[in-house]
Amino acid sequence: MTIREAQARGQTAARRRAFRPQATDWAVRLGAIAVVLAVWEFLAPSWNPIIIRPPSAIAVAFVELVQTGELQAALGISLRSFTAGLAIALVIGMFLGIVTGRSRIAFNALDPLVSALYSVPSVALIPLIGFVFKFQGDAPRVAAVALFCVFPILINTQQGVRNVDRGLLEVARAFNSSERRLWTDVIVPSALPFVLAGIRLAIGRGLIGMIVAEFFIGLVGLGYLIIQYGNVFRIDKMFVPVITVALLGIVSMGLVQWLEGRVAPWLRREQ
Amino acid sequence: MGSVGERIVVEGACKRYGAVTVFEDLALSVRDGETVCILGPSGCGKTTLLRAMHALIPLDDGRILIDGHSVTSPRRNVAMVFQHFGLMPWKRVRSNIAYGVELAGLDGGQARDRVAKYTEMVGLRGFEDHYPYQLSGGMQQRVGLARALAMEPDILLMDEPFGSLDAQTREILQDELLRIHALVPHTMVFITHSIEEAIAIGDRIVVLSARPGTVREIIAVDIPRPRTVDSVIKHPRFVDLRDRCWRLLRENAAA
Repeated sequence: MTIREAQARGQTAARRRAFRPQATDWAVRLGAIAVVLAVWEFLAPSWNPIIIRPPSAIAVAFVELVQTGELQAALGISLRSFTAGLAIALVIGMFLGIVTGRSRIAFNALDPLVSALYSVPSVALIPLIGFVFKFQGDAPRVAAVALFCVFPILINTQQGVRNVDRGLLEVARAFNSSERRLWTDVIVPSALPFVLAGIRLAIGRGLIGMIVAEFFIGLVGLGYLIIQYGNVFRIDKMFVPVITVALLGIVSMGLVQWLEGRVAPWLRREQ
Repeated sequence: MGSVGERIVVEGACKRYGAVTVFEDLALSVRDGETVCILGPSGCGKTTLLRAMHALIPLDDGRILIDGHSVTSPRRNVAMVFQHFGLMPWKRVRSNIAYGVELAGLDGGQARDRVAKYTEMVGLRGFEDHYPYQLSGGMQQRVGLARALAMEPDILLMDEPFGSLDAQTREILQDELLRIHALVPHTMVFITHSIEEAIAIGDRIVVLSARPGTVREIIAVDIPRPRTVDSVIKHPRFVDLRDRCWRLLRENAAA
């Protein structure tokens, strides 16, 4: 059948379009990083070495901190509070997002509170969190990460649930869908991309929360390494945890993107 | 009400949205096994009427009976095909087609047989594992059609199913629908704003007036089956039927 053939051809063409540019994309990305590093390396010696150190010195410091085990220990502590905080934010954010997205009463009850809390810079609440949790153990830092993460997840989930295609809701009704099947067939899958976008935003904010909490509450983890080496003007070593946090962000976002491809393969058409 | 053999009866139907009356005092009936096309200018409430037949929206006045029962919720023996296709982007073709029969509670084996049968019938074999976005509009509507057919309904409600397709694809699907109708005859209500489509598909054409919609005239299409779009257009009755529909619609537009 000719339509079928045309269809199949269109589809392989689409697949080629989706994959072929990736190699060149990556070449450009890596090339840009290499150029920045090269310029930095070349210009660094003309500045005061207390303020600017070349990438090569940072690389050496990186190896040193890995060899002493300092970096791994700090990363472990930071990662623990980050993942715990993110997990708590996911549970709370998705739950409240679904409830406020589906119920008008819940929306009206919670929206002013959420808007108010979201407008306050979360950093301003860090000292309060410290006091509430008595500056002890992981709890205040986990809470800080959760606070930073929860709003984008909540708001995106809510939007996702509210933005369900009305046409599909009608289809569900036309086929006599039960309320439970309405959720599994229509609402959850259509909210999923919003939730995942919320998680990506949350990761960025959560890393800020993690570092700020380590500055002000715990003095542990990667945040502590930054403060510690900053105080003794070891800029090369100070950069190591900074870069580690950046890598942490990149890896987590990549993970979410990979997850998106797995749980929502139909979204690939937009990329 | 309704004489023997009347499957759908619409009596004194009226629908308003605020101050706007979409249609009023609308009456028509659909006999067993026939295809009734509802033709009218945009905004005359064709789609609204079809939705009311499936209890997707309530009427403000009048009533709709299917098999003698007042319609209060979507009936099991009625299935609907949507202009916007209404496919779940996250379900593969197979699951989209299975959607209705799964909800109807058919067990796994039965559901699979149904899906296989109607996938074949609409010409989608080999595409079961595709996602809707991988299909053209015409193919997507084949999925929508198979999903409805798999319910094995006796009444099909078609809401401008080919309205958003390009001309060639539309004609191909019209032929497909005529072919399928010959294989598994349904009672069918078919909404369209295309005169040619109404003549090709319908046994009778209900021409609605502009808003507020009422029945202007009911035209019997005396072109024998089996039909194809081509055979209908070449039939000696075609031009006359088209002119009659045209005149009715044009008077409407002028008024």
